[in-house]
Amino acid sequence: MPGTSTAVDVPPRAAGSAVFLGVRHHSPACARLVGRAIEELRPAYVLVEGPADMNDRLGELLLGHRLPVAVFSHYRDDTRVATSWAPLCDYSPEWIALREGHASGAEVRFIDLPSWHPAFAERADRHTNRYADAEARYARATERLCAQFAVDSVDALWDGLFEVTDGVDGTEGADELRARLDAYFELVRGDAEADPGDRAREEYMASWVRAAVARSGERPVLVVTGGFHQPALRALSARGDGTAGAPSWPEVPAPPEGAVGGSFLVPYSFRQLDAFAGYQSGMPSPGYYQRLWEGGAHAAAQGLLRSVAERLRTRGIPVSTADLIAARGLAQGLALMRGHAYETRVDVLDGLAGALISDDLEQPLPWTGRDTLGAGTHPVVVEMIAACAGDTEGRLHPDTPLPPLVHDVAEQLARLGLADPDGPVTLDLTEADGLTRSQVLHRLRVLGVPGFTRVSGPSDGADPVFTERWEPGPASGREAGLIEAGAYGARLDEAASTVLGERARAAGTEAGSLAGLLFDAVLCGVGPLCDELLEALAAQVGQVSELGPLGEVLTAALGLWRHDRVFGVARGRLLGAVVGGATDRVFWLAEGLHGGPGVDFARLRALAAARDALLHAPRLPSVTREAAALAAARIGRDRRAPADLRGAAFGLRWALGVPDDPATAVQALATTTASDALGDWLAGLFALAREEVTAEVTADGEPLIDVLDGVVSAMTEDDFLTGLPALRQAFAFFPPRERERVAERLLQRRGRHGSARSLLRTTADPLLLARARALEENVARLLDRHGLGAVR
Amino acid sequence: MTEVTEVTIAEEQLQRPPAEVRYADELAALRAADGDPRPPGWQLSLRAARRFVVGDEQAGISRKFVGNVSLVERALVTLATNRGLMLVGEPGTAKSLLSELIAAAVSGGSELTVQGGAATTEDQIKYSWNYALLVSEGPSSRSLVPAPMLRGMAEGRIVRFEEITRCPLEVQDCLLSLLSDRVIAVPELDGPQGMVFARQGFNVIATANTRDRGVNEMSAALKRRFNFETVFPIPDFDTELALVEAEATALLRQSGVAAAPRRDVLEVLVGTFRELRGTAGRGERMSAVMSTAEAVSVAHAVGVRGWFLRGEPGGAADVVASLAGTAAKDSPEDLARLRRFLEQDVPRRKGAQWQALHDARHLLAD
Repeated sequence: MPGTSTAVDVPPRAAGSAVFLGVRHHSPACARLVGRAIEELRPAYVLVEGPADMNDRLGELLLGHRLPVAVFSHYRDDTRVATSWAPLCDYSPEWIALREGHASGAEVRFIDLPSWHPAFAERADRHTNRYADAEARYARATERLCAQFAVDSVDALWDGLFEVTDGVDGTEGADELRARLDAYFELVRGDAEADPGDRAREEYMASWVRAAVARSGERPVLVVTGGFHQPALRALSARGDGTAGAPSWPEVPAPPEGAVGGSFLVPYSFRQLDAFAGYQSGMPSPGYYQRLWEGGAHAAAQGLLRSVAERLRTRGIPVSTADLIAARGLAQGLALMRGHAYETRVDVLDGLAGALISDDLEQPLPWTGRDTLGAGTHPVVVEMIAACAGDTEGRLHPDTPLPPLVHDVAEQLARLGLADPDGPVTLDLTEADGLTRSQVLHRLRVLGVPGFTRVSGPSDGADPVFTERWEPGPASGREAGLIEAGAYGARLDEAASTVLGERARAAGTEAGSLAGLLFDAVLCGVGPLCDELLEALAAQVGQVSELGPLGEVLTAALGLWRHDRVFGVARGRLLGAVVGGATDRVFWLAEGLHGGPGVDFARLRALAAARDALLHAPRLPSVTREAAALAAARIGRDRRAPADLRGAAFGLRWALGVPDDPATAVQALATTTASDALGDWLAGLFALAREEVTAEVTADGEPLIDVLDGVVSAMTEDDFLTGLPALRQAFAFFPPRERERVAERLLQRRGRHGSARSLLRTTADPLLLARARALEENVARLLDRHGLGAVR
Repeated sequence: MTEVTEVTIAEEQLQRPPAEVRYADELAALRAADGDPRPPGWQLSLRAARRFVVGDEQAGISRKFVGNVSLVERALVTLATNRGLMLVGEPGTAKSLLSELIAAAVSGGSELTVQGGAATTEDQIKYSWNYALLVSEGPSSRSLVPAPMLRGMAEGRIVRFEEITRCPLEVQDCLLSLLSDRVIAVPELDGPQGMVFARQGFNVIATANTRDRGVNEMSAALKRRFNFETVFPIPDFDTELALVEAEATALLRQSGVAAAPRRDVLEVLVGTFRELRGTAGRGERMSAVMSTAEAVSVAHAVGVRGWFLRGEPGGAADVVASLAGTAAKDSPEDLARLRRFLEQDVPRRKGAQWQALHDARHLLAD
């Protein structure tokens, strides 16, 4: 940067002697402007948008960390839980304001409300990024701008207007850039009505500006805030009235009585900072902007091209020189056409995409919007985005105060007598004390903190095991693990739930891991944080694509919802949402499932679980019993559906109280399908409606068993042998006593008397019987061949 | 070469005049105001061509292609390089319209078109002969009948190749030497006439849809000579709704229906299409084509049913009845998906028309 001899460019619209610099968070161009302004103005105060409750601890930020790091804030009271991050990287305007302001001898102050303040509560997500783009919440103005400039996304617009421009180094360039920034933010703010939260924050920030102006005397005050707030802030500060006699700083709001909250520093990474990977992030592609900050637009574009090529080549995706030439040519052509001084990020990415991808895409190129990467994104695009993001990870200076989680865990373990046990710990979950201790240990387990291993205990919601046994392990890595886990939250329960939430997001729609997660969440204890996880689960069960694993989730959730006495989650609203969502999804998946022969017990269990949900928790699913019965009727009729599923559908209707006539169904089945399909069908039926079938055995009329008997008796020998394994499998659904009753019925039908039990049990080894039978058949065949068959 | 101005049939008699005729005024205005450098052989500069396609309200240029601007930009820059442009995407995503517009903007005409199909031969791409002349005079430039590629190369213009993947692979590959060496040899002719070199401005826009045979079977050599651009269904609900409304209204007027389609019914219709297309994220996609074009034709059918059967604009029940024809064209699975959607998803949505849609679900045959 040039020397400070140039005249201080006091901006035209300063209020008092305050200089307002509206920035976009994580923008290198804005960071450069901030550095320049500090150098030229030599302000008495540098006021920065950041949590004011950190003001006493600004020194912690300047210890000498490797960026990116973030100020992590958390808060909880009876009604609300909130966590937020304020990430800082080398090219954050806030960071430059902090560092350069401090170096120039100015007094630096954060002037925004603390993160726990209700002003932030209106943001939809509880895990907020303080430095997310405010204007993203006021999208209409930026949409208009994009249409006007004929670009696809705000990021592309921003790069072209501000990041990649000619002559930012000169004073004139800087002035022009600033004028352009002001105009941009005036336009973005323009007619947008700020929400009450933003208005409260702006009021509060303005009170700091007024106080600083009153205290600074002749020297200027530099105010660095998000550009969205700047127009309002300027107006509010100029209204300065009450500050005349009282140049004291505004009070920092204290959390209400009984609430817990705090802030501490955590290491952050470019991966977390990237808008394509995370939600609520600021600018995308931090790796690219780091290069832009360090080496300028030209170097950044070339670096991006090089790192994408290297990444793809190490992954074994061919990138020829011709491809690179084409990519470069395209990028330059696009930059020219779009009127950019150099190739911007989007120009380079567009060029690479055009030259390297010779397939049809399933997902739109991510930089044409602001979405996170979806499933089905082309692998080359994924690598390109990763190359843009960079893999830099921040590291805290060793003197940084430890996160409170470390202290919280130490205190809890000491209180519960788990700090240093000599031997294994056995916990009785039915006692309050045992349950508390179990929950603490499970939370540590979920966080991946070494020290304890559970060797036995309940494995799912229906498991009637009420004791747990834990064995102590080496405690060496525990502290390091805890510090790392500190990034997830200040307290053990929060941290555990954050981790579970992340795992839920990572698991996506894989139901197998969702069932495990659900139980982990229950083991770790309920509370508002577990609620959030359940909400996420409820949303995700609607997307599961396999019937079997979905059934597991439903069984686990329904079991807990109906029967839990240990963990206190029975009849929980959110657990109910999981049950409801999973039940709906079972029907969604079951209808339209086609397949071959064989019995899939997992899907039968899923349907049985759905039956239980409909019978015992009818208000949870949005599928009504009537709708379910209709769907089942359709499945039952669908010739391409697997036989076991059709049987299960039939059974479901029976269980729901709208039985069709089993006799006709069995008859129809026996005449139209292969002999083993009958067994499969029956397996499905018995899995869903065993009790109804048994009840019918003792009733009058022609029950199912009689029809079956008729069908089986009419089978040819070969058909019977083919169908036998499936039939045996089907009848295995009956417990011995009920099987005996079926046998009695058969005897009765044939007018025989005797022990039904003896029918169920053979006296000899079945193999021996089979051999005897084979021998007999052999003899018969031999007799036949010699014309002696008639003797039989 | 047939100049645009030489079109002798009056425009209003044509069912669908080509883009260069439909938008002749806009093209002329853009050409007159165009101060930016033009790539050699181009009728418009890159920026003017972009404005022609994506529109410019202030200059009175209408928006003709609803989609990403950057896609149009990449397409135009690609055409200015030595690679061809391959537009891929689901049927009904306006690929052909885009290629027509670009050809009209770049070369001033979009009529040099090869329609790909199973019966396409090399003759239809490069050149063939007038056999009467060939027999009487022998091979000469008079007896040669140039096909679009030869004309495009000789005149330095954009050639469109529609549905390229529907051609047999060996026919596709005849483009290889043409795109890399930029010359067609006519061995029957002697001397300099035997080599037709491409003039500046020649390039190829191919389109392929992902449903037919896809681009996977294309030879790697040919793929390498194209830059691929995937055209997606319209991402934004409001834009799609507006487009469907405008197109359906126009179609209905042509069919003699006096009532304009109801907006709330169209909302339900477009919402249903987007859901069944998989854009809404539920992950269950129909195998039938649920394009915007298809939505327009269903909206048209709904209006026609309502008007001619009952004298009203048509409601949710007509949507269900018409959807059955779209969705269940050839797949019972799609019908089941549609039914699941109507039974399980629709009741969760708020609004009278969604309710009506749910109530009309019995109109789907079992």
